Amino acid sequence: MATEVVVPMLGITVEKGTIVEWLKSEGDLVEKGEIIFIVETEKVTTEVESPASGILAKIIVPVGVEVPVLTLAAVITEPGEELPAEYATRAIEGPPGKAKVKTQGEQAPVSTTPPQTPATPTGSIEAVPAARKLAQEKGIDLKTVSGTGPGGIIVIHDVEAALKPRVEPAVKVSTLARKLAEKEGIPLEGIEGTGIRGRIMQDDLRRAAEEKAAHGLGKVVQMNSMRKVIARRMAESAVNAPHIYFFTDVWMEPILDFRQDILPDFEKKFGLRPSVNDFLIKAVALNILDFPILNATLKGEEIHILPEVNICLAVALPEGLMVPAIANADKVGLAGIIQQRKDLVQRARSGKLSMDELERGTFTISSLTQYDITYFTAILNPPQSGILTVGKTRDELAMVDGEVEVKKVSTFGLSVDHRIIDGAVAADFLQNLKWKLERPSFTFLTV
Amino acid sequence: MREITYAQAINEALRQCMKEDERVVLLGEDIGVYGGIFQVTAGLLDEFGKERVIDTPIAEAGFVGACVGAALTGMRPVVEIMFIDFTTVCMDMIINQMAKMHYMFGGQGKVPVVLRVNIGAGRGAAAQHSQSFHALFMHIPGLYVVAPSTPYDAKGLMIEAIKNDNPVIFVEHKKLYVEKGDVPAEGYTIPFGKAEIKREGSDLTIVATHAMVMRSLRAAEEAAKEGIDVEVVDPRTLTPFDKVTILKSVKKTGRLLVADEGHKTCGVAAEISAMVAEEGIFDLKAPVVRVCSPDTPVPFSPPLEQAYIPDVKDLLPALKRLMEYA
Repeated sequence: MATEVVVPMLGITVEKGTIVEWLKSEGDLVEKGEIIFIVETEKVTTEVESPASGILAKIIVPVGVEVPVLTLAAVITEPGEELPAEYATRAIEGPPGKAKVKTQGEQAPVSTTPPQTPATPTGSIEAVPAARKLAQEKGIDLKTVSGTGPGGIIVIHDVEAALKPRVEPAVKVSTLARKLAEKEGIPLEGIEGTGIRGRIMQDDLRRAAEEKAAHGLGKVVQMNSMRKVIARRMAESAVNAPHIYFFTDVWMEPILDFRQDILPDFEKKFGLRPSVNDFLIKAVALNILDFPILNATLKGEEIHILPEVNICLAVALPEGLMVPAIANADKVGLAGIIQQRKDLVQRARSGKLSMDELERGTFTISSLTQYDITYFTAILNPPQSGILTVGKTRDELAMVDGEVEVKKVSTFGLSVDHRIIDGAVAADFLQNLKWKLERPSFTFLTV
Repeated sequence: MREITYAQAINEALRQCMKEDERVVLLGEDIGVYGGIFQVTAGLLDEFGKERVIDTPIAEAGFVGACVGAALTGMRPVVEIMFIDFTTVCMDMIINQMAKMHYMFGGQGKVPVVLRVNIGAGRGAAAQHSQSFHALFMHIPGLYVVAPSTPYDAKGLMIEAIKNDNPVIFVEHKKLYVEKGDVPAEGYTIPFGKAEIKREGSDLTIVATHAMVMRSLRAAEEAAKEGIDVEVVDPRTLTPFDKVTILKSVKKTGRLLVADEGHKTCGVAAEISAMVAEEGIFDLKAPVVRVCSPDTPVPFSPPLEQAYIPDVKDLLPALKRLMEYA
């Protein structure tokens, strides 16, 4: 029986995807679970596994066409099975200008028998003895080595060259990106790939080109997909969610001292160094338990108070911003938060976050402590209802028992969606957070 | 150091050995009064008298046979065959008698003869006086085969040959007789079976004998201008043969060219190539190349003779061909 392969759902806000590469061709045998194509959305690139074993009888969605999720992408038949007639004429036009080339349906009649392995050239392979020996030692099949010696004989250099790719793999690049690079004359070397297994995607190329272009005035820069998402979401949020802002000064010495105090023992026990941010994430998560409305999303006329507390941490990247979420920050221990935070930040930088990690957030923290910024406002990260901002820690003069003292202070800001959160609630939330951070030994008693 | 010719170096070795040991006697055609066709024995008749420097009739089988007998009875004769070409008339004496006695009588007798011959084309001496079939003697167990390429090696190897208790075929090269080089005045020996690296290099090994050493060194200089770094190894004695130095060099460079003035077929170069194929093939980055004389008699016509003699003109293209196996 024929099995349909669809462009999968890639997260709650993702509606469309583009297949950037087919790893199998029509007529190829596929195994269930084997990766058959790579789909790119606004946010991430995902490998899609075959839902069944059989023959990839027909590819319907060609490379480079943006289609809604759940679009029928291909049909897999059982060996010997005819392609059912209803699929035979199904085809989606390729991208403009290359429709004829890329619509794979136009290729040779669909074969439902396993393809013949191409005949390997018979006869002995010519190689000089030293090359033969090296190949044997290094486990290189001489059939895979092309000879550059006189008369095409494999010389030692050829085997050495064949060895190299294992150490420095050739640049992996998606079909579209390669075409774009060729068209625009962009060298692929030095471009960091954000696709699967470091594959260079179209966006990476655009970004590389933009980075060059951005340094200077009087230029028009094409937005990459990340920038487009940021632009759309920020505008939506600013327009749809009426923001109100609250600020308070948090006395930072207690939490800084608390951190210093536990640091040696913590490091010894867990092998991890908690940052101030890690305490902050935990404190916010605990505070949300006291104010569940800050964990809510507005859907039509319903306020959905979400069951999980997943705290997003904004990670600044050269090309924009990623906001991966630390899952269950209220439940996991501090060590768990540190591990998640480190892993997410690292993968955000290498473009390897999953859809879930980007979509699951319920509240966001945006920190600019490393800048000389006293305080700032933030736009809500939709569909969330609260975002906390953290300014630099500064010295302030304060009156303590009639004496002037220097205190370390940071101004925290809170933006909320006034549609569902009123000023008093927001103020209470922020005040309680301040209280928690200024009394860390009590706040983190059970963490 | 003092420079003398290859011929003078051999002359000096003979003189020093004759002074030191009165059992050393010389026999050969025109070696006394005339001083030898290439003047290698010049002055020795006057110095040592006609009992020790004997001009023989043109009868190689006779006087080589006499030398074998003399050696068996305790003398240490050094016999000159005017051209290697003439050993064919005394092969029985060389192969069946000289080389066999020590074996056949269970080591009871020894035959300390040095048989001097010369090889090499280039003197317009035609097909019967220009041959280089020294490889024939390598084929016969019981004979040492010595192949000096410089005056220094010629003297040291000659003294070693005379002191050796076994028959030695001492193969000189006509074109080298006039070549000069540094030679110490005092006596010294060069042990048999010890090759010398005449030029160090990393890209390619030339194993060369006799005049081919000099020609290979010239080719190496030419090749160096194109960035090819050639190593030249001179085995100096063909029996015994220094495999170790050659295999080590081939291991280093991965490319082997063997240059010998004998015919290509069943020649010295064939033997060396076969040895490397057996014991060092996996070090080879390229096929082995032999630069030898063609498998034809040496032509009398001077232009043809020049074309015939393996030289830089043959070595250089061969080197470059080998370097194509990058």
